[in-house]
Order: sequence, then C-alpha cells, then structure tokens
Amino acid sequence: MTLVLAWNNVRTNRTGLAASFVAVLLAVTLVGGNGLVVAGASTRDELHDIIGLLVLSALVSGFVSVFVVAGMLSMHVLRQRRTWALLRSVGMTPRQVRRLITVEALVVGVLASAAGCALAVPYAALMAALMRMAGLAPGGIPVEVTAVPFVLASVVGVAVTLPAARLAARKAVRVGPLEVLRESAAQRRLLPWPRAVAGVVALAGGVVLLWLVPELTPKDAVPTGLGATMALCVGASALGPVAMRLLGLLLGAVAAVLDPGAGMLAGSSVVTQPRRAMSAASPVMLTVALACTFMFAVATSDAAEGVTRSGPAAWAAPLLVGSAVVYTVISVLNATAMTMDERSEEIRLLRTVGTGPGQLVRMVCWETLIVTTAGALLGTGIAAASLAALGKALTGEAWFAYSLPQYAGLVVVCAVSGLAGGLVSTRGARRGALLADSQG
Amino acid sequence: MDDHAVLLEGVTRTYGKGATEVAALRQVSVGFRRGSFTAVMGPSGSGKSTLLQCASGLDRPDAGAVRVAGRDITRFGEKELATLRRDQVGVIFQAFNLVPSLTAWQNVILPSRLAGRRPDPARVRELLNRVGLAGREGHRPAQLSGGQQQRVAIARALLGRPEVLFADEPTGALDRGTGHEVLALLREAVDAFGQTVVMVTHDPEAAARADSVLFLTDGRIVDVLYRPSAEQIGARLGGRR
Ligand SMILES: Nc1ncnc2c1ncn2[C@@H]1O[C@H](COP(=O)(O)OP(=O)(O)OP(=O)(O)O)[C@@H](O)[C@H]1O
Ligand SMILES: [Mg+2]
Repeated sequence: MTLVLAWNNVRTNRTGLAASFVAVLLAVTLVGGNGLVVAGASTRDELHDIIGLLVLSALVSGFVSVFVVAGMLSMHVLRQRRTWALLRSVGMTPRQVRRLITVEALVVGVLASAAGCALAVPYAALMAALMRMAGLAPGGIPVEVTAVPFVLASVVGVAVTLPAARLAARKAVRVGPLEVLRESAAQRRLLPWPRAVAGVVALAGGVVLLWLVPELTPKDAVPTGLGATMALCVGASALGPVAMRLLGLLLGAVAAVLDPGAGMLAGSSVVTQPRRAMSAASPVMLTVALACTFMFAVATSDAAEGVTRSGPAAWAAPLLVGSAVVYTVISVLNATAMTMDERSEEIRLLRTVGTGPGQLVRMVCWETLIVTTAGALLGTGIAAASLAALGKALTGEAWFAYSLPQYAGLVVVCAVSGLAGGLVSTRGARRGALLADSQG
Repeated sequence: MDDHAVLLEGVTRTYGKGATEVAALRQVSVGFRRGSFTAVMGPSGSGKSTLLQCASGLDRPDAGAVRVAGRDITRFGEKELATLRRDQVGVIFQAFNLVPSLTAWQNVILPSRLAGRRPDPARVRELLNRVGLAGREGHRPAQLSGGQQQRVAIARALLGRPEVLFADEPTGALDRGTGHEVLALLREAVDAFGQTVVMVTHDPEAAARADSVLFLTDGRIVDVLYRPSAEQIGARLGGRR
C-alpha cells in the first residue's frame, strides 16, 4: 500500500521530484569532482601553493551543496502538505506518512548519488584542464579515481537528503490535517522558534567571525571571511521570511504602482507567503554572497599586494568558484520553478476572472523579480560585510576592490535563471485547458 | 434571435476516451434571453456544471457553438477570452473561488483592477454588506468559511455588472437567510440592471425565484418549466425518480 501511494506521489509531483533529483545529482558531482581534484593535486609537490585555494573552493562547493540540497528537499516535502493532510484525514498515521517520505527521499538520494559519482570523473578532468589553461597548475593535475571523494560525495547525497526530508516530514505531519485543508497556510507562524534560534545562532557565529577577521594574518583572513559569509547566509536564510515580508511590502508596492493588476498580485503573494518566497530567494542570496566574497576577496588581496593579473590568470578566481556558482544559479531556476509550480490552481482561477495572458506573464515576472531582488540585496549585504572585514585585515582599512560589471552580471544571471524557471513551470497553467484538474 | 445574451447550438462535451468516456453534454441547444433568470436543475452528474463551463467559455465544447452577444466564443483566443471574462461574463463556482493571497476586498475588486479601473469603494462596501460580509473586508480566504468565500465571489461577480452571470449552486452552502439575500441580489441584477443570470441549483425554492427552469438528465435538456412554483418543481423532480 505504501509503495502504491509512494508511486502515485512520484507521478503527480514530477516537477518537485525532478528538481530534487537534479539538486542532489549536481551536488554529488560537484563535491566528488572537487574532491578528486584536491586528491590529485595533493600528490604533486609543485602544486603545494594552490592546494589551499583548491581546498577552499572544495569547501565552498560542499557548503553550497548541503545548503541547496537541504533546502530543496524540505521544499519538496512541505509543498505536498495538502497531500499528506489528505492521507492523514483518511486514516494514515503520521508514522506511515513519514515512512512514505523517507522511502522516496532514499530512492532519490541513492539514484542521484550514483549518477553524480559517475559524472564526477569527467567533471574533475574538465576542471583540471581548465586550471592548467588558466595557469593555476601549469603542469596539470593528475586525476585518479580514488575512493575518498566518492564516499564524501555520497555522504552529501544520502546523508543530507535523508535528514532534510525527515525533518521536513516531521514538520509536515505535525500540522493537523484540517488546518492544512482549510488552506490556513497563510496563517502559519512566520518564524517558529527553533528556526529563529538557529538563525540567531548562525548570525551570531558569523558576526564573531567577522570580528575576528581583521585580527588574523592575510593568509587566514580569506578562509575566515568566507566562513563568515557562509554562517551569515545560513542565518539570513533562517530568519529570511521576516526580511522577505518587509522587502515584499516595499518592492511589491513599487510593482503595484508600475503595473496595478499584475504587480499587486505579485506583491501580495510574496507578503502572504514569505517562507515560500524565501525558499526561492535563498539560492540567489547564496550565489551573490559567496561569489562576491570569493572573487572580490582575491581582487582585494591582489590590490593590497600590488599584483595585477591579466590574460588567463585573471580567470583563476572566477574559475575556482565558477562551478559552485553555476550550481547555485541552476538552483535558482529549480527553486523558482518549484514555488511557481505550486500556483497552478491559483493561476487557473485568475484566468477565470479575466486575467489576460500578458498579465499572467507579467505577474510571474514581477514576483520572480521581487524575490530575486530581495535575495540579491541580502547577498550583497552579507558579502559587503565580509569584504569590509577582509579589507581591514589585508589593507588596514574597511575597503575592498570590486568590479561592477562582474557584480551586475551575476545578479542578471540569477534574475534570468529565476524568470526562466518561473515562466516554464507556469506555462501549462497559463495556457493549457482551464479546468484541467480542478472541478468547476 | 438577437435578444439572446447566450446561445448554445448543438453543444457536445465528452470527457475521457475509450472505456472511461463520459458524454457530459449531448447536442445541447438552448438560448438564454437578455434580462432573464434561468435555473438549471438535474441529478448529480447530469452535466449542469459542464453546461455552465461551456456557456461561460471556461471550457471548450467538442462540437457546437456558444454565442455570447452574437459572437461564437469557442473560436476565441486566450486574450479575447480574458477580456470576455473580465467585462461580459461573471462566474461563481461551487468551490475554490478566491485568490488565497488577497483579502476579501481585494478579491472583489480584482477584475476591475485587471481592467485598469478603480471601482467605487462605496459600491464595493455596499455589495459586501448585502452578502453579509460587513467587517470581513480585510480577511483572507483562509480566514473565511466556505459559504463566506462563495459570497465574496458573488460580490465580485456582481461588481462589474457583467451582461451574463453564471452561478454554480450559489446558495448550496448557505443558511436560509443568507441564501435569500443572495437570491434577492441575483433577482435584482436581472430586474434592475437587465443582467442575464444562469444558476445551477438543487433547491426547488431557489429555482422558483427564476423565470424558467431547465431540467438536465444525462447531458440532455429533458424539460423546461416557466415561472414554476416550488411545489411544481418538487413534483417534477420527484416524478422522475
Ligand atoms: N474533468 C472531468 N473529467 C472527466 N469526467 C468529468 C469531468 N468533469 C465532469 N465529468 C463527468 O461529466 C459528467 C457531468 O459532470 P458535471 O460536473 O457537469 O455534473 P453536475 O450536473 O454539475 O453534478 P453535481 O450536481 O454533482 O455538481 C459527470 O458524469 C462527471 O463524472
Ligand atoms: Mg456541478
């Protein structure tokens, strides 16, 4: 019986499942591949200088992977709240629901990890080749297939997927079935206290690291600054719904003035569902915060030492965070697609009261833009704080080097990725039959 | 001919394929006169909701034509349909009528806002009062009961004074008093503003407020009564069983 239900669930939740699968698969590829590169580099003495940087970028990838996979899985489970509530109202016990969710997460975790491990080898070879071309490792990095990176990667794949799903499952079944069926989702507490505590602790940890950075030697300052960025990201993502509601009110008001119908709909959706909006904004925040901290930290340290890089060498820093950034950008698409997919019923209803096709497209775009802007603002704030602390460590002043085109490019890529996810996932609801699965 | 607000010509709608095929409407031809109030009755599953969905342009029939103000809406594109729903046709469903993220007030004014109009707040307030929702303007759908949600949808459909109003069991979830008020509103839409109302109902008393009553069975119109009393309708329904 559980298996039949699980299978039905899988069939009716293709978007969520595909997004979770892709998230885990890419995370495992990223962690495994980076692990292989580090393992390969550590066998060569002449690569001693860059091994620190490689480890750092591998750590960044690992952090990003855990962050994204955990977020995605919990979104995947929580967005099916109605299904879980229905199953419970017909007599399924919370335990059975949790088991159903665990089985599904296990299948996704194992399959995606296996595929990710297979992809890690060509990915590592590609990264090694790129590093040779950028002059980071002129002699090349030997990539050998060893066990440890795969074990690490699979740990991310399965050991993050499973607890994330189980935690979300616990939350999902704690809510009474009736509460969910009456769509009181909007009334749910904005910030349950465990989440608030976790957020405050992470933020405090980040602030402590920021405060430590100027006291450290330049060599230790960069990793510590990155650590501060990561901790602040975790904190901001936990406390995000509060910030999201405020930013939603502000940006939503702007959108409503520019485009009364569609803008108002977009704004009110962010304000009433700030947690949903934050799940889509988190990857944007992460992308902007990490990429800016890493790239501009290198630029600041170069400026402090009077180094100027040109040609392929200028690409070394972007290259090291590149794949992690590509991963988070894909997650922006994934997360936006998931949050928008949830809205099919609402979009069909909007059509029945006369919302035109153009207005629907604009509504999806406005909402995505509000969410990405909010994420980008949070990410920018976090990066600026870390970079200022780093600047103090490297140059003695709260100053840092940055490149406006690189920053703007990053934000635009996030926005485009979000727009693509939002528009593609709502296509069916915007254009298909009006009464597809809702009875009139 | 021309005084029909909505005219269905040989409308057929079939759901599913093969073994699961259900003919919800079979060759239905019927006209709704401008400024008339029509009730549609029939057993559950007889095709009442499907008739409303096809007539209001929410669903496309497999065959036949649906004319609203003389134009065949089965040939309309999405954009024309959106304008039609916003300005000419109002629909009230059996369930899930409201946008969850908007308050009752915002839901009521939504179609006007989409059309770029600013509705008169006094009239919005009056409509909400009359459907018994005074003081509930700021509530979101999750904070309203099923019947209250449906009444918000009724206020929304009435606000724009559309030429045609389709309502699927608008009093099904209401107590007698509120139900009467809703029927009075629909009646007033017809008598005072010349709107056309088509209402699906299972309640003979509600149907008795209409000018005519259509009876649907197995996707066909099997009978029509003009200005019947509740007793006549009850007898007609009872006689079939
Ligand atoms: N989306 C659909 N897919 C398949 N069959 C459908 C669909 N919608 C309706 N039907 C079938 O078409 C027939 C008519 O349905 P309809 O909803 O019009 O009935 P109804 O007269 O409104 O019933 P009720 O009084 O219960 O609301 C039914 O047999 C129903 O099972
Ligand atoms: Mg019906």
